[in-house]
Amino acid sequence: MNEAHSAAVAELPSIADFARTFRRIQAEIHKVIIGHEQAVEELLSALFAGGHVLIEGVPGTGKTTLVKTLGLALNLSFNRIQFTVDLMPADITGTRVIMSSVDGRREFSFQPGPIFCHILLGDEINRATPKTQSALLEAMAELQVTVSGTTYPLAPPYFVMATLNPIEMEGTYPLPEAQLDRFLFKVRLGYPGEAELVRIISSTTGPEEAGVEPVFEPAEAAQRIEGLKRLVREVLVASPIEQYAARLVRATQPANSRVIGDLHSPIVVDEVNRYVSFGASPRGALALILGAKVRAMLDGRANIAYDDIDRVAPAALEHRIMLNYAAHSDNVDAEHIVEQVIKAARTSRA
Amino acid sequence: MSESRRDEQKLWLILFQIKGVRARLNFLALQRWVFATLALLIGAIGIAFFAAASFTPLIFLIVAAIAVLAAIVGIIRETTLVRARRASPARAATIADDRAQMQGRLATVLAWAEAPQRTTLWPYLVEDTYGRRENYEPSRVEPRWLSRAIWPLLASLMLVALAFPAAHLGQGLRRNRSSFGGGQPGQTSADINDLDIRPADPALQPNAQIYADPATLKKLADKLVAAENEERHRSGLAKMLDKARQFADTFQNKLNGLDRNRNPLRMRLTDSKPGQSSGAQNHGTNPGQSGKPNGNPNGGGGLANNSQPGGHGAAEPGNGQGPPPMTSLPEQLADELAKNGTSPPAGSDQGANGANSPGNPNDANADGGAGHGSGSDPASLFGPASAQPLGSDSFKIAIEAEPSDEASSHGSPTYVPPRIRVPLNSQQYPDQPLARATVPADDETTIKRVFER
Repeated sequence: MNEAHSAAVAELPSIADFARTFRRIQAEIHKVIIGHEQAVEELLSALFAGGHVLIEGVPGTGKTTLVKTLGLALNLSFNRIQFTVDLMPADITGTRVIMSSVDGRREFSFQPGPIFCHILLGDEINRATPKTQSALLEAMAELQVTVSGTTYPLAPPYFVMATLNPIEMEGTYPLPEAQLDRFLFKVRLGYPGEAELVRIISSTTGPEEAGVEPVFEPAEAAQRIEGLKRLVREVLVASPIEQYAARLVRATQPANSRVIGDLHSPIVVDEVNRYVSFGASPRGALALILGAKVRAMLDGRANIAYDDIDRVAPAALEHRIMLNYAAHSDNVDAEHIVEQVIKAARTSRA
Repeated sequence: MSESRRDEQKLWLILFQIKGVRARLNFLALQRWVFATLALLIGAIGIAFFAAASFTPLIFLIVAAIAVLAAIVGIIRETTLVRARRASPARAATIADDRAQMQGRLATVLAWAEAPQRTTLWPYLVEDTYGRRENYEPSRVEPRWLSRAIWPLLASLMLVALAFPAAHLGQGLRRNRSSFGGGQPGQTSADINDLDIRPADPALQPNAQIYADPATLKKLADKLVAAENEERHRSGLAKMLDKARQFADTFQNKLNGLDRNRNPLRMRLTDSKPGQSSGAQNHGTNPGQSGKPNGNPNGGGGLANNSQPGGHGAAEPGNGQGPPPMTSLPEQLADELAKNGTSPPAGSDQGANGANSPGNPNDANADGGAGHGSGSDPASLFGPASAQPLGSDSFKIAIEAEPSDEASSHGSPTYVPPRIRVPLNSQQYPDQPLARATVPADDETTIKRVFER
């Protein structure tokens, strides 16, 4: 391809605009968050794909800071809920309280909870009881909240980020599978490297704090983000790639859980049959395609490639795979399983 | 020209190039099928010819069957493989994507080309893909015109080209090996006691000429009777196997064009244990009973008689007259016999009553056979073929052994292990049965009780 053509294509408004906006938000976040490039990219991919993110990391790795920074960069309304054992669903969704009107009459009035915002940070979500955790389900899946029989819509864009602390597991409640499945990606935040740590020290212990400049104006932020989300959906997908995503998801399912007559998956991974109780659900396939669409847009393409699927597969599938006791005893984690599945899938498509 | 028309033209060009890629891939797949099939067929035929020239009929049959089966399986597998690898338009586009690093653009264009409704990014995709058209030209996606399957075909041809000379060389070597023993082709000697006579492999043609004295011949006849009895009791499976062997031999001969009777094996039969008779001797068949001379009409392989020279003497081995039979022919004499095709001189023919004139070495059998005298056919040596109990149309003598240079010298007696009896010492007594005795009256009750338990 000649350079002139390449430049011309890159300047086509929609895709170029998307990539530019994405990179700009990324840059604003990295003013505060040192390192974690992949995590930030996956976070933004989930946002533009219209999903929610589960962030897992040990304490002090910047989970809350990352989410806060994102809220500031997008210039959208932002709420934070610290999940504790005694947190009740009504504390999240809101409740009806008796209010006195001007004329002295008392009536029930709905007081919206912190769930009513654009960006919601559920900090340490696994510390709340399953009942409270499930209060987020409806909001995440259907962008609405039902309280006392009345349904209240949530304003788009709606983006939930929940953090999980993988240690200090005493007194925590693992998230129900149904809720885990509603998170588009699971993003891991590991410890920073030495160089990154030095930069964190120098940037956070000085007199000046790094300021985040909002990418969007407050009035247009929601609309712009929704526009970019719609553009992501316009990315074209060839049927072989859709089939590839479906095969990848099916490969995470152990053979005994597949329907009769559908036992011969083209991708067979021994580890899956040995260590997996339940594989990824159809939502996993949707997550693969949507995440891949964002990746394609960032790469300046209007179509998905196989590599896009492979790149988003770990974030999209790991938290959807339920391992059995054998996996725990053999120290096998979902990351390893997904790696094996991707490896087998690459071989099968070659 | 409108924008949409230009886009359609670009799309048509993209699709045209994908078609070109597909055509090239399918052409190569077809080549692969043709080459691989030819390679398998030629390989199988080559193996069959090599086996025909090198092995016995049964081994040839097995090897040839395996080769043909392997070729059939290979061809079926190759056909399935090529059918599976046949490039559909979508597959061609995917391959082109991979090889030209188009990252799924071509597959996506192809998938959406016929879609009634396209997304807003469709023109972008077409433009982007069209701009990279040099990357996915058919000649760049698949530069080869000739399938790599040509190499197995060439290897197969080379193998066949080498197999034929090797097979002929092997045949030549075997002929040379069979001609050990003083430069007399195909001559050897064997001891009647070592001879294991079994029903002939029906695939083998009679190709042996056997010389022996009457006593040895008698032993041979006894063995033949025993073998014939064994033949009668063979199972249906064995008979089917015989048929298979016969078929294999016929086929093998057709393949390699060998005439098995061209160089008959000349074997001198000796007897290292002249006093012992074979187990089949008492079957009621006395080879000497018929007592009629029997010339060898076809001159083919058979037992050499001990009659007078010229092939007209009466051979009546075992009739009880004359001196006792010799255990074997003198070595030198037998060699000469085999070499010249003449009967031994009368002085050496101690088992025949017709030994009344010296042998005439120049009086060869006129019918061009072994030329050493009459009655050399084992089937009719001891009387007319119809009357003798030994012969049958299907019974032949086959020597299932390759002559070896490691054999003992001509005519040397076979090693007979000595009988060893170890004397008993003073404390030992030979086993003898106990004499019957009456039971003592006092012990009767006790013995009865013991046995009643």
